[in-house]
Amino acid sequence: MREITLSQAVNEALAEEMRRDETVFIIGEDVAEAGTPFKVLSGLVEEFGTGRVVDTPISEPGFMGLAVGAAMTGTRPVVDLMFGDFIFLIMDQLCNQAAKIHYMSGGKLNVPLVLRTNLGATRRSAAQHSQSLHALVAHIPGLKVALPSSAYEAKGLMKTAIRDHNPVVIFEDKLMYNDKAPVPEEEYLIPFGQANVLREGSDVTLIGTSSMRQVCEKAADILAAEGISAEVIDPRTIVPLDEETLLASARKTSRVIVVDEGHQSFGITGEIASRINEKAFYHLDAPVQRMGAMDVPVPFSPALEDITVPTPEGVAARARKLVAGEMIDAA
Amino acid sequence: MPLDVIMPALGMAQDTGQIVAWHKAPGDAVAEGDVLFEVETDKATMEVEAQGAGYLVDVAAGAGEDVPVGQVIARIADSPEGGGSVAAPAPSDAPATTPDLPDGTTIIMPALGMAQDTGLLVGWNKEPGAQVAEGDILFEVETDKSTMEVPAGAAGYLAAVLAQAGDEVPVGETVAILTTDAPEAPVVRSYAETGGAQPAPAAEPPASPPAPPKEAATAEPAAPEPSKAAPTSVEGRILASPKARRLAREQGLDLARLVEAGHRQPYHVKDLDALRALPAPAATPAKAGVEPRRRLTARCGAEGLASFAAWLAAETGVRDPAPLLAAFAAASLRRAEAPLNVSVERMGYAQAFADADRAPLGRAEPNEAEPDLILRDLRLSPLASVDLGPEAVPVITLLAGPEGIDLTLECDAGVLTAPEAIALLSDFAGRLDEPLRHLL
Repeated sequence: MREITLSQAVNEALAEEMRRDETVFIIGEDVAEAGTPFKVLSGLVEEFGTGRVVDTPISEPGFMGLAVGAAMTGTRPVVDLMFGDFIFLIMDQLCNQAAKIHYMSGGKLNVPLVLRTNLGATRRSAAQHSQSLHALVAHIPGLKVALPSSAYEAKGLMKTAIRDHNPVVIFEDKLMYNDKAPVPEEEYLIPFGQANVLREGSDVTLIGTSSMRQVCEKAADILAAEGISAEVIDPRTIVPLDEETLLASARKTSRVIVVDEGHQSFGITGEIASRINEKAFYHLDAPVQRMGAMDVPVPFSPALEDITVPTPEGVAARARKLVAGEMIDAA
Repeated sequence: MPLDVIMPALGMAQDTGQIVAWHKAPGDAVAEGDVLFEVETDKATMEVEAQGAGYLVDVAAGAGEDVPVGQVIARIADSPEGGGSVAAPAPSDAPATTPDLPDGTTIIMPALGMAQDTGLLVGWNKEPGAQVAEGDILFEVETDKSTMEVPAGAAGYLAAVLAQAGDEVPVGETVAILTTDAPEAPVVRSYAETGGAQPAPAAEPPASPPAPPKEAATAEPAAPEPSKAAPTSVEGRILASPKARRLAREQGLDLARLVEAGHRQPYHVKDLDALRALPAPAATPAKAGVEPRRRLTARCGAEGLASFAAWLAAETGVRDPAPLLAAFAAASLRRAEAPLNVSVERMGYAQAFADADRAPLGRAEPNEAEPDLILRDLRLSPLASVDLGPEAVPVITLLAGPEGIDLTLECDAGVLTAPEAIALLSDFAGRLDEPLRHLL
């Protein structure tokens, strides 16, 4: 199978859906000629014109509100938010309006909107351009949240998101735009709420979202060399969350580590760990572990930034402790 | 006093040791520090020294044998003749009551509420020495919620009154003793002054383990607390994973034994392998702290129960004998108002009933509670007698016998006093023999 970058996969998904459905359009800062700072959208304005690839001023609340209204009136906007950190600027449009309009209109209105943005640290972008804020929106009922973990997921989830009748927020990891993965030529969609078991194992389950999937896979490689069999699962969407697959794995291995790049406190790792505790408690041989980013502003200093996020070595070390039956007292 | 020679634990995770060779023969004189034998573990071979002087006797394991850690393999005695085989001290029943208290049925402060620790004794409805019937109100108790009347639960004479009006008495403490014969001089005490029925340590037989330290308020004949029977080395909560705990429970394994064997906590599923590999508790005969046990048998006719069950079936349509048996047993065991659960095991199927004696006859609903008493109905089996040893709660086994039904009661001595055990089985046999008694 051919391999393409995550950037190309997103570009393909958008182009295919824009060709298939003329109500789909892109709106955001530097989306047209510039093709975004990460060059994800390069070439789209040439094919679809400035009427469907709309550059805006620096005005996140404005273009987000505009897109919500457009979605309510029959189009399918894909809003490009240059950095995930800017989500604080559009919280009312996203959480108070887009998320609730279907409910508050008694089902008469839909907001088929996709918010494309990103997450991920270690790009030396400092504290205001390096956050992973998906937990903020996953908390709000009415929003779906997808976290593609490779080019394959990025394309399949984006196409599903555009066809969804409800607002969907997709966080791409900005470190992964140039990472290649096998992506089929033929069309495919990845349904929401279906976790992907990337490798089967018997000793410990590593649940990794977004790029933490790669961290978990590398940790599994390290562990395999030591004779520890790790199962690696990518939830792919956290809302909806494929509980069944996660619980089945927890019951099988009895030990679970949840890895996510959001801040550890009050985050995705805590939510998933809690569900496993509630529903698979009597199958657990060790406390479910959370491994998130440190609860600090992401540092600019490369030496400091690198230690704020989970690493394969860190995940493997934690797994080793669990399997050895050591008393866990993780900070 | 002979000195036990045990298989020592030479490693952290060692379960057994192999005797490589004895350096002394049975009957040899040994001095303290003499090498007695050599032990090989998975790590090393070590010499084991005598811990005292005397004569090596009662050698129970030879060279080449694998012996569980802690097991007695010989003794060092004062004379070369030795003191008999290495075996558990003969079970001996502790005296049921202290010498200065009459023998009889103990009446305890009942638990009337879920979170009740003590009850305030409001007043006695019977004078010391008075004759009482089973259903007579003996005394009144006030809890934080209500005031309740407590019936005698058994017929007899109020021979000892161990708490007075106004006394705050912990739940389970003995407040009175009923005897079958009229007492000459009834005992009257105040719980507040004397702490109720004080134990008399001197009355302990020498073979029984040293009594655990008791608080002043602990009364000897009172209802036992199961935790007191646990080995003293197992204190507090055992740290184990939910899965390890669940599997241990499902497989009837006791995690406390891992603690005793010195395994490091917390326990996980893989530690259960070590637990299974531990020698069975019965295989460590000289282990200190073995509770004396009780085993009583009784006989009664089967016709009474059969005709009663047939009458009940005709009257009410109830054909399952389990709730009926549970009702008889609960009534026989009942000493207080507290909930009483009886589990009936028939044909490999167990049903528990809460307060079966309080439900309409034969109509007790099964529940999931931990039983206070197990009835094992083996009347359809070819077994002639059972001696299965005590379980967590008293067990009454029903077997087909020459006169109809043979009954065996087995329990730990700490669970029922001798009079309580005798009263329980006698009463139950009486109810089976003449079920109409149950209705009276």
